[in-house]
Amino acid sequence: MADLSLNLCGVALKNPVIAASGTFGFGREYDELYDIGQLGGISVKGLSLRPRTGNPPSRIAETPSGMLNSVGLQNPGVESFIEHDLPWLLTKNVAVIANITGTSVEEYCKMAEVLAPTGVHLLEMNISCPNVHEGGVAFGVKPESVYAITKAVKQFARQPLIVKLTPNVADITENAMAAQEAGADAISMINTLTGIAVDVHKRRMILRNNTGGLSGPAVRPVALRMVWQSAQKVNIPIVGMGGIETGEDAAAFMLCGAQAVMVGTANFTDPFACPRIVRELDAYCQAQSVARAQELVGTLQAY
Amino acid sequence: MQEINAKVLSCEPLCAGLTRIILHAPEIAAQASAGQFIHMLVPDSAHVPRRPISLMAFDRQAGTLTLVIQAKGRGTQLLCAMKAGDSVRCLGPLGRGFDGQGAETIYFVGGGLGVAPICGAMDSFATATSRAFFGFRGAQYAYGMTQAPCPVTAVSDDGTLGERALVTKPLLEAIGERRPDLIMACGPVPMLAAVQAIALEQGIPCQLSLEERMGCGIGACLGCNVKALHADGTWSYKRVCKDGPVFEAKEVDLRG
Ligand SMILES: Cc1cc2nc3c(=O)[nH]c(=O)nc-3n(C[C@H](O)[C@H](O)[C@H](O)COP(=O)(O)O)c2cc1C
Ligand code: FES
Repeated sequence: MADLSLNLCGVALKNPVIAASGTFGFGREYDELYDIGQLGGISVKGLSLRPRTGNPPSRIAETPSGMLNSVGLQNPGVESFIEHDLPWLLTKNVAVIANITGTSVEEYCKMAEVLAPTGVHLLEMNISCPNVHEGGVAFGVKPESVYAITKAVKQFARQPLIVKLTPNVADITENAMAAQEAGADAISMINTLTGIAVDVHKRRMILRNNTGGLSGPAVRPVALRMVWQSAQKVNIPIVGMGGIETGEDAAAFMLCGAQAVMVGTANFTDPFACPRIVRELDAYCQAQSVARAQELVGTLQAY
Repeated sequence: MQEINAKVLSCEPLCAGLTRIILHAPEIAAQASAGQFIHMLVPDSAHVPRRPISLMAFDRQAGTLTLVIQAKGRGTQLLCAMKAGDSVRCLGPLGRGFDGQGAETIYFVGGGLGVAPICGAMDSFATATSRAFFGFRGAQYAYGMTQAPCPVTAVSDDGTLGERALVTKPLLEAIGERRPDLIMACGPVPMLAAVQAIALEQGIPCQLSLEERMGCGIGACLGCNVKALHADGTWSYKRVCKDGPVFEAKEVDLRG
């Protein structure tokens, strides 16, 4: 067995495979299929200060080698999470990442404050959700606003802060640098790419929200490019994601400079995707004669 | 809930536009109940989301599941093109199915593809006084009537099978003759809405099986929502895959 463990911003993870926010709920459903303690971490469904109902149906559309979603951050609110889901998750021997979202800088700060005294291991600040009209992505587009919100939330955060970036910008590396400058402990990328799906027979949009976020293997080359470019510009850890389906896909992100990876849509194609990717990454390391998976990080040979 | 590699025993045309697939899936059949579904991986890696497919029948002894699939898009076309001997990854049984316990008379209502899960409900819950009402576009689209465990009245849009009428017409007539304790329905949304309206108006308990596009199929992603009404007048979204696919008619707002 290769050593898959790592230290992500001071938090020990047994391996670099983390379930991506929004695809894994709070872990309970997948724990009925396998012990989620096999994973390095779980980023929970995006939390907000108050409960959110989310967007009306339909919220999902298939696209070539991927899918669009417009769930719109439906969640029971952070208090409910802390009371009902977190205690259970903390018994699971897995790093718990609270994915937070808000409609104002104050709300994000308040979220960090509410989560500060809890056992959550890391915060992931989602300033990149394309599926809510107010807030969310508004903070994640311009480098100045990425800087401002990161700086503000850092003052309230007691756990390491990961800033999740949107790919729907001209140059993601500017936002990566802005987050680092403002004191982010890590960045995660990428959130979904905005798209639409058309029902030509009915001549109407498939998603009730009109637009949705594209995920799955279709976005993988874009995500790899963005991780690789950002890794040239920042020295804080990068958590890479976008279309990871296999251990070799995970390795590709690590070679591009990601310390850890998140797996989202692949959970839908294969409900056992996350633990399988852990095993496959181990097999890849052994085949490459790599004793520690972290040795892979950033070793991609570019021309 | 099991994730298995099911073997295809047969995959043949059932009627115009529909394919009937019989799978050997003993682990899923052992746990299945009427109205539940399985989440099927399309046998081509370009297709990322799975397809939720209702159970038309399950046989615990033989370890088989019977499914009806409409080849609508590329993914369902590939599922319908499977051959006996192929294997296909399936997660199931999933969701909350029909519950006919204690009902003396049940009226079953199915429309088109929605007749399939209704056949499963009839196998489990039909009683001596139960009746079924099926609506099809026309005679060449009809199925599910030969081995039915209770009398079936079929109607069609074009008059080639039974009366040219909506399925709610014979349903209303039957309710007039004998009021059922329960209605179970599955079919297109306009049909479900019409059945729901009748059930609510007449105060007859009614269970509707809904369809929605799905991601995870197990309740984690919130991709498959339906508007659910609460007793206090408020509402929230419920998950079709986990809280359903069968819901009480008085509980759901089908307009989303
Ligand atoms: C159904 C669905 C819901 C999502 N919800 C969230 C969310 O609440 N918060 C968030 O930061 N990202 C959310 N995402 C984005 C994923 O975490 C991830 O960034 C993206 O899907 C790319 O990874 P993938 O291709 O492995 O899915 C969601 C993605 C999907 C498919
Ligand atoms: S499909 Fe994921 S919650 Fe229903």
